[in-house]
This record gives sequence, C-alpha cells and structure tokens, in this order.
Amino acid sequence: MLQVYLPVAEISVNLLVMLGLGAAIGFLSGMFGVGGGFLLTPLLMFSGIPPAIAVATGANQIVASSVSGALAQWRRGNIDFRMGLVLTIGGVAGAFAGVLLVGLLSRLGHADVFISLVYIIFLGVIGSLMLAESIRALWRTRAGKPAVTRKPGEHTWIHGLPFKMRFQRSRLYISALPPLIIGVIVGLLASVLGAGGGFIIVPAMIYLLRMPTHIVIGTSLFQIIFVTAVTTVLYATMERSLDVVLAFLLMVGGVIGGQFGANAGQKLKGEQLRLLLAVIVLAVAARLLIGMLVQPSVFYSLAPIAVGP
Amino acid sequence: MMRHALILLLVALLAPQVCAAEEQSRPEQVQSDISMREVSIQPNFTGVEIVLFGSIDFSKAPSPDEGPYDVIMVVRGRDKPLVVRRKERIAGLWMNGASKTFPTVPGFYAVLASRPFRAITSEETLKSLGIGFANLDFGKTGKGVDAVDGFRANLIRLQQDRRLFQESDDAISFIGRSLFRGSVDLPVNVPIGRYTTQVFLFRDGKLLSQSQSSLQVHKVGFERVVYMLAYHHPLSYGLLAVLMATSAGLLAWTAFRRE
Repeated sequence: MLQVYLPVAEISVNLLVMLGLGAAIGFLSGMFGVGGGFLLTPLLMFSGIPPAIAVATGANQIVASSVSGALAQWRRGNIDFRMGLVLTIGGVAGAFAGVLLVGLLSRLGHADVFISLVYIIFLGVIGSLMLAESIRALWRTRAGKPAVTRKPGEHTWIHGLPFKMRFQRSRLYISALPPLIIGVIVGLLASVLGAGGGFIIVPAMIYLLRMPTHIVIGTSLFQIIFVTAVTTVLYATMERSLDVVLAFLLMVGGVIGGQFGANAGQKLKGEQLRLLLAVIVLAVAARLLIGMLVQPSVFYSLAPIAVGP
Repeated sequence: MMRHALILLLVALLAPQVCAAEEQSRPEQVQSDISMREVSIQPNFTGVEIVLFGSIDFSKAPSPDEGPYDVIMVVRGRDKPLVVRRKERIAGLWMNGASKTFPTVPGFYAVLASRPFRAITSEETLKSLGIGFANLDFGKTGKGVDAVDGFRANLIRLQQDRRLFQESDDAISFIGRSLFRGSVDLPVNVPIGRYTTQVFLFRDGKLLSQSQSSLQVHKVGFERVVYMLAYHHPLSYGLLAVLMATSAGLLAWTAFRRE
C-alpha cells in the first residue's frame, strides 16, 4: 500500500489510485481530444477528496494538458489570438466570480451539492445531445449516406451588435460582446466545475460565433490555459484549497495516459468515439445523481472552520 | 525590593495550599514521560504509536505494601472549532441541512486506563479532570440542547471513526508494582500542534498525584515547505503550481510531439 499524505487536503491517498486516475483521464482526453476536467473533478469527489480541493486541483491539472494541446495547435497555426484574448478577459472575470461563489458555498456546507447539481445538469444535457447526435450519425453512415456538416457564414442577430472587431484568423467581423459574454459564462462554469470548459466553449464558438472548426479547438485551448491558471491562483489565495501534491500525481498520470489515449483514439471512428464519450459522460452524471437521491449511510459530517492566517 | 516582595507574596499565597495538599493526599508521587517528544509527519507517514511510561514513587508512602494503584492517562491535541452538519432530504435530494458549531473541540483526545476508568473513581472526579468523552467541554454552542439534538453525540462518534477520539480501558499495563506503560496510536490524519499528556495516579478512587508532559506533532521536510507556502505565501504557492503545470505541459509536448 503506497500511501501518500496530501499536505493541504490533510488526508492520505493511495499513490497508485491517484496516478491511475490521472492516467485514465489522460487516456480519455488523448482519445477524445477533450480536456477531461469535467470527468476528473467528479472522480476526485467520488474518491473522497473534499469538493473545494477537487475543483482547485482539477483546474491546476488542466493547465498542463491545455498547454501541451495549445502548443500543438499553435504549430499548425490554429489559434486566433485576438479572439482568444477577448475570451480570456471575459473568462478571468467569470473565474473570479466562480471562486467567490464556491468559497461562500463551502463555508455554508453546500459546495458539494451545488457542484454536483451543476455537473448533473451539464453532463446530462451534453451527454444526451452527444448520444443522440452520434447515434443519428452512425445510423446515417450505416444507411450509406455521408455525414452532414453545417455551413458557416450565415448572418444571425449576433451580427447586429455594436463594438465590432475584426478577427482575422477566424475570418469574422463581429461585435466583441458575444465572445466576451461567452468568456464570462465559461470562466464561471470552469471555476465552479474545476474543468477547462471546452465542452461548452467549443459548441458556443462553432454555433454562436460561427468560427471555423479548426480554429475553434486551438483558440479554446489558448483561452483555457489562462482561465484555469487564474482559477488555480485564485483558489490558492482565496480558499487555500489547492493541493499541489495531488495535482502533481494527476499530471504525471495524465501525461502517460494521454499518449496511449491518442493512439487508441486513432483506431476508432469519429461517431464511435463520440458515442463512447457520451456514454461515459452520462454514466458520471447518473452516478452523481444517484449519490444525491440515495439515503446516505452517515447523516452527520464534520468540517473544520478556517481560522484566518 | 519589588522582586523580594513578590516572592514573599507568592510564598505566602502558596504555602498553605502546599501544606493542605500534603496533609490531605497520600504522598506517593507519579513520574512519567513519553517515548518521543516530537512526531514528524513526512510523505510516508501512516501513523505512529507513542508510548507513555511512568513510575510510582513509594519513598514517602505510609507503608510500602499499600495498593493497588490505578492509572489514567489523557493525551490531548490543540482545541479547534468544528462544525457538525446533518444531511436532510430537501426536494428529494440529500443535502446538508441543520448544523451546529462547537468552538473548542480537541484535535485529538485519548483516554487510556489500567482498568475501566469509570470504575476507578467517581463521576465527579472524572468530570473535574475532564476525563472521558462525556466530560469534554466543546464550548458554547448557542441554541439547542446537546443531549437532545444529537450533534454532540455524532461529533464524538465521527471523531472516534477517524481514530481522533479514543477511549481504551486496558491500554495501561503495570510492570511490577511501580512501573507502568501505556500506548496510544496517533493515526495518519492526526492534526499538527502541541499535545499535552496527563498521567493521573489513583488509589481507592482518590487522586494521589498527577504529572504532565507534552509532545509536538509537526510536518517536516517537503510536507512542511508545501504547508508553509500554501498557508503563509498563498500567492507564490499558486503561481508555483501554475509554473509546475506549464512545465509539465511543455515537457509532454516536446517529449511526445508527432510532427
């Protein structure tokens, strides 16, 4: 039994379990090309890490995976820095609000319920949409028709807003307000969920901003680096809930798992991958929901009260 | 002059009490010590057993073959505030409902005895010495009656589950007539800080003598650095964590690049 003591969480965890958890998330994120934070935080909570620590440490781990992801995208010229900057400004503001909210709820003893509920809603909705979409796509390919893709470039109400900016790489001339607002919402969610928020920002950029798909991935990764970095620092300073030992274990596991995941992902078709991811996402949401519906075996819980430094 | 006056005053104040104590109680004395004065928490810390040992000094006893003696030991960590929350079903979901805050809960509390300690002396004596879970004072809790609402009982039970509260009736054994030892397990989740240990010597339900020592539980090495950074320099700690993550990302990218 290789037990490691986490100095901030003040509990001891099994080294292999935490490395394995990091590797599993790395494997999934390498396979599906997602950040994996939205699976990491619930899994940390399932394994007994207090929610505030799970969220802060999850955010720190995402910094690592988004840096390597963004670098790869930057080499291919797939980052719109101007758009990334606007999204980041909004994201940082959102992250600040999110950390304040989680801190307040922690002190009231409602952080775990709140985080779980937000997760259930988001994972449930996104998992169901993905499941329906991938089943439809599989059906279509079986019937012999090619997969349909959407056409970008249509004008919507978004094009009527003021403060227009030119985003050259995205080939867009739109108001800075929608990306700014999207940034705020994603920053808020990312800091509450301890995730990058890629699963929200990517659809938003594709369907609302109508950005070209290949630019979307790189730009969202660029934005996620800064939002998760700021979230990490805010949790460290405002909540003292960041555990670097845990983050380090998860990163080591994640780097190793990511490489295997990327190879495994190349052997599966896009629709199959999305179907598999949808099932995993729905399973996590179901597990969280069951945890809240089933009568607990222990009714009482203890929590320390933070005494100021 | 002032100092002399103070000393005289002190002597005058203390002298009658000392005399009274000598008259009242038996003159057997107890001495004790701990196997370690420092417990260091390192990354591989999985808990530790500490041994408290002591001896009874009979040299001033009325007759050398009196007895038998009983010993109770109390090990206590620093007091901290704790909040106890009760899960309640709200709109079909189980979530934290009512709560109660206890301002002074010992971070660690263990009672060791040579035989069931309630049989050793009276409940009043135990209460006045703060021996046993039932006699602990957790401070003012505001509204509600502890015995009725169950928060206090559940606090004790949860602390017992975490091995932070222990009552053990056979943890002290005598070696011959005057030497005794007791052992207590400090679990992995033991809080840091100064611990006090008290050793009480009883005969026929009467407290004869007591002795105190202390030990320090602290984090060392890497654990200490991380803890100090996290709690005393949180900004640097957060920035270092981001730096660590950025370098890990860079490293992963350069090591596994497929271009």
